[in-house]
Amino acid sequence: MRAEYINPFIESTVDVFKTMLSCDVARTGLTVHETFHPQYDITGIIGMSGKAHGDVVISFERSVALAATETLLGTKYSEINDDVVDTVGELTNMIAGNAKSSLERFELQLALPTVIVGKNHSIRFPSKVKPLSLPFESVWGNFNIEVGLIESPEDAHAVISG
Amino acid sequence: MSIKALIADDSGVMRKIIVRAANAAGIQDIVEAVDGADAVAKFGEEHFDLVLTDWNMPNKTGLEVIQEIRATGSSVPIIMVTTEGEKSSVLQAIQAGVSDYLTKPFEADALLAKIEKLALV
Repeated sequence: MRAEYINPFIESTVDVFKTMLSCDVARTGLTVHETFHPQYDITGIIGMSGKAHGDVVISFERSVALAATETLLGTKYSEINDDVVDTVGELTNMIAGNAKSSLERFELQLALPTVIVGKNHSIRFPSKVKPLSLPFESVWGNFNIEVGLIESPEDAHAVISG
Repeated sequence: MSIKALIADDSGVMRKIIVRAANAAGIQDIVEAVDGADAVAKFGEEHFDLVLTDWNMPNKTGLEVIQEIRATGSSVPIIMVTTEGEKSSVLQAIQAGVSDYLTKPFEADALLAKIEKLALV
């Protein structure tokens, strides 16, 4: 995956957290690997298709997901319930959607987000996709964004196993 | 005069955020739709003064919701609240008959301002 594609996702993540949640986040690194093993408790996945194909996978530490839901809805949350799952899905949707506005030349369309609760799974991107992994930190805890995007008409969507 | 609003979004969290903004604008009479087909069906059942719809929803998209509402001859104000921020998307929504457009992410005040503006029309 070309590094120039990743900047819109970094900018979008910072923007979504700042605008919707009044929360400053900072990227702490960047790595490349083929299989994503979520380190955290709840993961949102969204597919993108058009003149490029790929997926965005965002894994949140439980504390981040709970605090984000609390900030959006104004209610205290102590466990991962439907509202927290919906929040993770919506944040994934917003981060991918906001980023694709900066990648307009690919005419990307978003699929509906999927949310997985728990750590016991892996997410495999197709062999031609080398996703970039972006760890972030915030006052609420950590989260990780994985983006795999290639310019190709071929099917490049991630497969979940485990 | 009491204003009745239809809010269509497949995300329960987004519906709650929009309901809260509508309540803040003084709108208490609200019907929620969980996808595009649900929105079109509910719009056909009763009179609404304001519609807020997402774009990417199962069954029917928000764009189809706008097209089907306008096909009934209704001029109800419709606000689209969506991640679709590209110029081509905004243009498509305008051609379909959207009244106003808000791109996610947004600040709560921005949504409130758009609801207040159209609810007073």
